[in-house]
Amino acid sequence: MLQVSDVTVRYGKTIAIEDANLEARHGQIVGFIGADGAGKSSLMHAIAGVVRFTGSITYDTFTYRSPKEAEPIKDKIGLMPQGIGLVLYDELSVDEHLDFFSDIRGLRRDAEYHRYRQRLLEMAGLAEFGGRLAKNLSGGMQQKLSLICTLIHRPDLLILDEPTTGVDPLSRKELWEILDDNRRQRNSITLVSTAYMSEASKMDAIHLFDEGHIIARGSAAKLIDSVRPYTYEETTCEGCITFGGRTYSLQALEAKHAEPSLESLFFVNALQKGKIPPPITIAPRENPIDIPPVVMEAKGLTKRFGDFVADDHIDMQLRRGEILGLLGANGAGKTTFIKMLLGLYPIDEGELYLLGKRIRSYEDRIALKNKIGYMSQKFALYKDLTVLENLLYFANMHQLPLSKAKKRIDKLAEGLGFAQYLHSFPRELPLGINQRFSLAVAILHEPVVLFLDEPTSGVDTIARAQFWKLLHELKNRWNISILITTHYMSEAEFCDRVVVLKRGKKIVDDTPANLHATYPEAKSFEDIFIHFYKDAR
Amino acid sequence: MRAFWSVFGKEILLFLRSFGLVAVVLYAFTADIYIAGEGIQVKPRHVKVGYVDYSGGYLANKILSHLHAPEFEKPRAFTSVEALHKAIFDKEIIVGLVFGSDFERSSYRSHRAKVDALIDATAAAQSFVTLGYLQNIVLGMSDIIFPVDLRIHKLFNQNADSKIFMSFTEMLSITTLLAVILSAMVFVKEKEEGTWDIMLLMPTNAKTIILAKALSQVLIILGGILLALGFVVLGIFDAPMNGSFWAFMLLSLLYSLTSIGIGFFIAAASRTIMQVAQLTILIMMPLIFLSGAWTPIYAMHPVLQKFSLLSPLRYYIEGSESIFFRGASILDIWPSFVAVALLGFILFVVGYRKIGRLF
Amino acid sequence: MRAGVIRAYILKEFKDLARTKMLYLVYILPTMILLLFGYGIRLEVTHARTIVLDYDNSTLSLDLISALEHTKYFDAHVSTMSEQEALRLIKKGDADILVIIPASLQKRILKHQKAQIGVYIDGAYPMRALTMQSYVEGEILHLAQKLLAKRGFDGHLITINQRTLFNQAMRDENAIVPGLIGLIMLVAPALLAALLIVKEKELGTIFNFYASPIGKTEFLIAKLTPVFLLHSLNIFILFLWAVYLFAVPFRGSFTLYWLASELYLFVSLGIGLLVSIITRRQIVAVVLTVIITVIPGFLYSGILMPISSMQGASAIEAHLFPVMYYNHIVYDTFLVGEGLASHKTVLYLGILALYGAVPLVLGTLLLRKELR
Repeated sequence: MLQVSDVTVRYGKTIAIEDANLEARHGQIVGFIGADGAGKSSLMHAIAGVVRFTGSITYDTFTYRSPKEAEPIKDKIGLMPQGIGLVLYDELSVDEHLDFFSDIRGLRRDAEYHRYRQRLLEMAGLAEFGGRLAKNLSGGMQQKLSLICTLIHRPDLLILDEPTTGVDPLSRKELWEILDDNRRQRNSITLVSTAYMSEASKMDAIHLFDEGHIIARGSAAKLIDSVRPYTYEETTCEGCITFGGRTYSLQALEAKHAEPSLESLFFVNALQKGKIPPPITIAPRENPIDIPPVVMEAKGLTKRFGDFVADDHIDMQLRRGEILGLLGANGAGKTTFIKMLLGLYPIDEGELYLLGKRIRSYEDRIALKNKIGYMSQKFALYKDLTVLENLLYFANMHQLPLSKAKKRIDKLAEGLGFAQYLHSFPRELPLGINQRFSLAVAILHEPVVLFLDEPTSGVDTIARAQFWKLLHELKNRWNISILITTHYMSEAEFCDRVVVLKRGKKIVDDTPANLHATYPEAKSFEDIFIHFYKDAR
Repeated sequence: MRAFWSVFGKEILLFLRSFGLVAVVLYAFTADIYIAGEGIQVKPRHVKVGYVDYSGGYLANKILSHLHAPEFEKPRAFTSVEALHKAIFDKEIIVGLVFGSDFERSSYRSHRAKVDALIDATAAAQSFVTLGYLQNIVLGMSDIIFPVDLRIHKLFNQNADSKIFMSFTEMLSITTLLAVILSAMVFVKEKEEGTWDIMLLMPTNAKTIILAKALSQVLIILGGILLALGFVVLGIFDAPMNGSFWAFMLLSLLYSLTSIGIGFFIAAASRTIMQVAQLTILIMMPLIFLSGAWTPIYAMHPVLQKFSLLSPLRYYIEGSESIFFRGASILDIWPSFVAVALLGFILFVVGYRKIGRLF
Repeated sequence: MRAGVIRAYILKEFKDLARTKMLYLVYILPTMILLLFGYGIRLEVTHARTIVLDYDNSTLSLDLISALEHTKYFDAHVSTMSEQEALRLIKKGDADILVIIPASLQKRILKHQKAQIGVYIDGAYPMRALTMQSYVEGEILHLAQKLLAKRGFDGHLITINQRTLFNQAMRDENAIVPGLIGLIMLVAPALLAALLIVKEKELGTIFNFYASPIGKTEFLIAKLTPVFLLHSLNIFILFLWAVYLFAVPFRGSFTLYWLASELYLFVSLGIGLLVSIITRRQIVAVVLTVIITVIPGFLYSGILMPISSMQGASAIEAHLFPVMYYNHIVYDTFLVGEGLASHKTVLYLGILALYGAVPLVLGTLLLRKELR
């Protein structure tokens, strides 16, 4: 039994989490959800006894009020902090990690230990990679290794901070299997924060965090029930939010009620707080151009790193005005593929056509650079330049005349809803705003094709919803073609077509509707994805 | 051209906005140079002298009275040679004088007298010079009509002012260090912060970007040199400026390009700023030591002398010193200019190729 | 205190150091500094390039020239160029000293008239200029004395009978190399120790310490032991370089040198520890460590300036920095050999122990097992 009473964590003057109360029983998996900066991590750190807090925490019969007092029960706690492979040492191998984590916990190496260790390795699919260094593991493998390192001393209180962010669906599924198994075997308490609502819905209890407070709690079913009165089928109205085929409104509407999901919680909360996201508008192109029906075509594109084939003879077409989702596990070759298209990696084999022209040389690319927009998962911006300065810099690099650039920036800032932040520095802004303004950078020169590499990773639900609206708006107004990678399988539904890569090979190329038709038993796109990955194993 | 100025302006702005970096550069070009100039005194100062006087006479006292501030502390009397030895062992004094019991007598009788001087030579530098001082004092005491008058002129730096010298060489070393680090940083920072790919995707050719980045750092470095020169070297320490200011600036410009070439190498080889720091330490240490900044080249080990030919800083220091202290014109020291330009050209072009390969 | 836990951490550090190639740095850097400084810094001047313009051409002037030619201090060349040309050579940095012997030197001296010898010295390197000046003076005055003695001069004459202690040969190596050991053993271990903890903070692996039951003391022992062991080897390496490569005499007790060095290593570790506790980024830790160790390590080492002749603030600073105490013992073991017989050595050992203990204790108290 874990009891958290009135816990407050402060960093200097800012309050990360205030007066949090929480109860969890043995055998339960408790989920934390909420936007970034809502206080999930801080509460986890307090419970794990790694940050100073006020209030008290009781585990079974033991009560602690500070990290120092928590020291005696750290044997029982397992903490996996946020960040891919954060607690791993680049230069140690998988086996060495397990040795290290066992030794610092002073575990006895008896037969039972070795059995348990072997089982963890097998569950994580790492049994055959014992000698591989952590830096050579893919993101998903790193997270699985971190998890089994956290489990090796059989903790009774397991605290996992976004263990699945940036991890592909298959690895995610495997991670959850390990967790589920551990819960059954050990009857432990597990606290997990997650950005994937599909995961949260499977937990025994969910706590919704917002601005340093826990604003709702209960089972997934109970929470979903609580927002049912505000969820309608898609319609238009004043003071509402519409996304994903549903409209949310605090006032009663004429429309029929629709079935809410956990995501609905965030939209209803935004309505209740009066934080309705601004509508998104894109002005038409200033310089209308003719776009060929096929914008990008790859024929047998191949990239090798030494013996390792990152991309193996991939054929792909990107048509005019199409959003193409590129999916795949960590290390399947998605980023490498995009980098080849962009010319950041040389192409080892195959042909690439952009806007109908065969790309052979550096000069070919230079000529085309004005037609391509790119946004990477890091939101590559200069942190010491204000939003406006960043935009002006990129406008200059694209040789836009100054007066024209200023007008265009104003229009984009207005349309994308970051006009009031033009003079702020990127680091002062929430991730969602940075993401939209990075997109503005990518489309400032009105490209005809847009490459987006995991643009939504780590961004909260509402900002993601806004972002997808924006992409569709761009597609409709500009007839732009978009190639996007993502780990959120729910987002695959918003694409016109999806391509799935596996170990450098293309295994699927179809529309989501067709795929759903082919696999009617799948409840979500995630199931379809996992099916493909399992199938070919 | 517009892209060039855009990158150039961005780099300058980014530099000005990074508070820590500006603070370090300002500190390096002012306070650090000042400290280096003030910190070390090569002329003997406050040398602690002890003596044992068995002669008990007037002559010994007269000699001792010549040992005064600021070169010497008031001499301390010891009762025995053993005590004097012990004081030297314990580094309480570095010079010990022993006036034997027949010192005064022999001086009057035979006009020949001897003082024993014990010198702690573990402090070799001070010992050399202290000896010279002592010799002069004693000679002045000797009651002779000395026929030869030595007229010693120290050229260029009349009072052998170590402040000017130390601050000057420190300025040149700092220039090297910062030019290398800053130019490597403008590239590696983009790698570390993930803006590298975006930079590559701009419809501007690599040449423009690399040159704009490099030249923006040259501007910062030249600004720093002016600051150090104006406030510290010429300002506080009042160094002479015997040659042409513009010749020095031209040499500095050539030299910054050389350093930036080295910066290119480091940038091409590093992925993180940490690696830049490590590589810079490893490369710069030998470069600065082999340059003659700390000790004249012909006084080095012969092998090191050969290696020093490769250090561009060597030619920069030689050239700059000639301009400042010796008032040399470009024609006088054209070999320095040619050497800096040549090494600079090679390093810059090869480094440019290396970094260019990443584009 | 659990040995197994500490061993696991230490093992991990060693693997990490070896695989990130940091291990090379641990041994390359100290040796590089010692070789460069040891060979690079010369306080004595030899073979100063000297131009002699002899307008006299008498036996006296020839005596003088041959005296200059026969020391290792000067490379004297008699030349017939003009004064302007000779000065230009100095200007270009091609000559160091110009000696001008006037036309009637011998005649005037024989007639008991005063004669002037002009000497021009390149003053660009002040230390060197002062040294060259004292050589020229010494050489010429010595000659003059000899001349006077030959001619039965009978005024009062006092001569200095010079005896240098400890470094009889006045070798620069003897004066510099032991001091360098004090500088290196202060900088290098502190740098490594500072990095080992900050690195975990910056990368996030520090959570493994925060979230596990490892004690603070266990963690610190585990972190500092590898640095201690690795740099203990450097104590011997640097000793071997000093004695066999630079041929510095070693007159004292090796045990004393070794023990004092290990104590001093603790001082350095303590500094590194404190730096890593107050910093969060590796680059800041590196810069801070370098600033607080290199400057005092060099300025207050006694290499360039004896501590005893420092005054006021700088004398206080010198006594505050540990390098002075260690260097006293090192110079003693190399050049003097008085060892523990001197009370000062014993006192300084005690002070070093104190300097080693205080930062370590302070670091243990300041280290928090929690996020900040």
